[in-house]
Amino acid sequence: MRVRPRRRWVRLAKRVASHLVLILACAFALFPIYFIVVTSLSTLPIAAITAHVLVPNPHSLTAASYNTILYHLSPSFLALMTNSLIFAGSAAATGLALAAFTGFALSKFNFPGRRTFVYFILLISLFPGVLLVIPYYFMFNSLGLIDTYLGLIIPYSAGAVVFSGILVKNYMDSIPDDIEEAALVDGLSRTQAFFRVLIPLCYPVLGLAAFLAFLGPYTDFALAHLFITTTNLETLALGIYSINSGDQGTQNYGLVTAFAVVMSLPIVAFYLAFQRYIIGGLTLGAVRG
Amino acid sequence: MTGVTLQNVTKRFKTETAVDDVSLAIVDGEFVVILGASGSGKSTILRIIAGLEVQTSGHVYIGDMLVDDYEPRDRNLAMVFQSYALYPHLNAYDNIAFGLRVRRVPRADHPRKLRHLTKREVDAKVRSAAQMLGIGEMLRKRPAELSGGQRQRVALARAMVRDPEAFLLDEPLSNLDAKIRSSARIELKRLHARLRQTFIFVTHDQSEAMTLGDRLAILNHGRLLQCDTPERVLSHPANQYVASFVGSPEMVFLEGNVQPAGAGYTFVKDPVRIPIRGAARPGPVTLGVRPWDVRVEKEGSPTALPSRVTGVERLGSSDHLFLELAGPAPASGAAAPAPPALSVRAVTRAYDFNVGDRAFVTFDPDRALFFDAEGARLESMSLATRLP
Repeated sequence: MRVRPRRRWVRLAKRVASHLVLILACAFALFPIYFIVVTSLSTLPIAAITAHVLVPNPHSLTAASYNTILYHLSPSFLALMTNSLIFAGSAAATGLALAAFTGFALSKFNFPGRRTFVYFILLISLFPGVLLVIPYYFMFNSLGLIDTYLGLIIPYSAGAVVFSGILVKNYMDSIPDDIEEAALVDGLSRTQAFFRVLIPLCYPVLGLAAFLAFLGPYTDFALAHLFITTTNLETLALGIYSINSGDQGTQNYGLVTAFAVVMSLPIVAFYLAFQRYIIGGLTLGAVRG
Repeated sequence: MTGVTLQNVTKRFKTETAVDDVSLAIVDGEFVVILGASGSGKSTILRIIAGLEVQTSGHVYIGDMLVDDYEPRDRNLAMVFQSYALYPHLNAYDNIAFGLRVRRVPRADHPRKLRHLTKREVDAKVRSAAQMLGIGEMLRKRPAELSGGQRQRVALARAMVRDPEAFLLDEPLSNLDAKIRSSARIELKRLHARLRQTFIFVTHDQSEAMTLGDRLAILNHGRLLQCDTPERVLSHPANQYVASFVGSPEMVFLEGNVQPAGAGYTFVKDPVRIPIRGAARPGPVTLGVRPWDVRVEKEGSPTALPSRVTGVERLGSSDHLFLELAGPAPASGAAAPAPPALSVRAVTRAYDFNVGDRAFVTFDPDRALFFDAEGARLESMSLATRLP
């Protein structure tokens, strides 16, 4: 009888300790976001910001930076955002469609050299993308694709296929062949079985792949900086660069952080939209469980 | 509703021959069980019939139609997988309706044009199948929310609604726990009686095969050893493999020799000596007796083999005895070493014998079988009715 209270105390201590660790980790992850949001709401010079962030003064909070970002930028924020969404959106869509087929082929078809091909793709994905910027430039320049939408969408979606293709393949490997075969016996063609059975089962991984395929191009600077010289194709990543270094006033942290906050909104929206697919667990109970 | 015929079907994978020259004619409405140990090629045969695997040589007919070049979807067969292979993203209703929704049937006004089934037609079929299998209440549930037995019924219903030429069942009961399995077996048999359609059922479980099949096709290493009714397979096995694979408890085998004795021949396996009837040749043979054809008595008749009970398995309605044959006592003073103990299994009435009891064994001469050294059955040979 004397053991029980002590055990309860130990359990409580463990719980408090684990919560403390989690709270610390959370603070570590969230602080930069907090820093950016608070900074974006002030117009203070850099030297005063640290003190302001730790103890925010409600009277000095202002949405002036947001006003500048949204209404007084040239090219306009909306134009930059539109370009970014076009690039990232079409790259994600193209990349995802190709990745789904790639994953299907690599997972469910037996052809000579399949394993080698998978390793080859994995090897490719190990190269840092920046390495490719220069060769890409020469290639696309000779093709006349510099300063065009297509010129960026092609390399962006190619990058998505490489990584997401493997992602989809691994996920499809976990779907038993029985399920596809059941569909074939049920009267479906292989193509129908792919679209009506395998694709719905792959929603979790496709959601994740879409998210990653969107995120890369949306935040890309290296390729965009080199490939885009006209202002009407400029993306958000280029825009944030130009307000930080350009004629809008150097080192205006309020502006830069406000830009970053608005720029991150589509990513948050995208994540929330696909979040439920990423939860997964759809294959549970398909076969004996 | 059609029969299925395999004609010299062979399937080779890279190094091994999974199915070796199998010919099998399955009659319309028949319940055929393909029985074999794992790796015997039984599932491969089913997959070849379904079109999921293409045979290396030979032909497959569904009815009179040669279907070698047909895709699975054009064969109009239904398959129940061992894993059930339900579509995890669809509920039970949609799982059952899935095949119906993609199928197209001739239009009433325009027999050469095809149309999809209407919602109402699909619904009627799904509901009647679900009702027949007693799963009407759980049609809204996803496979993950169903028990093993319920999933198996959904898989069966999915097969039924399609009104297929034949049902292919790949060990559909092996993932159920023992209690449900026996009732599922009875239900399946009843379903077959009701649908009167061709069922091709693959299993490694011989008792499942015995209870379900109109005919059993027994495979080993891709070869079809025998295809016959359960009774015939049991009483007239084609060879020793079939004899040992089918029947539970397993057949008793005594490996011995045929030796000339007087005018006739005797089967010799120390300490057993039993005269033989019929055409015999000296040489090694194996005597096989079903445990239930081993007679065990408390009082020794002159022809009986004395033995000792070394183990008893009490099953309630009957007992399984493990007996050690002692043979005739060696001549007094002879230095002959005691022959190695010979174990025999027998089925007897419950509670007749206890461990340690003396017992006298005879074999039913009409039921005992002989096999040659290669395992082939020696049909002309049998035990003589009386021991000397």
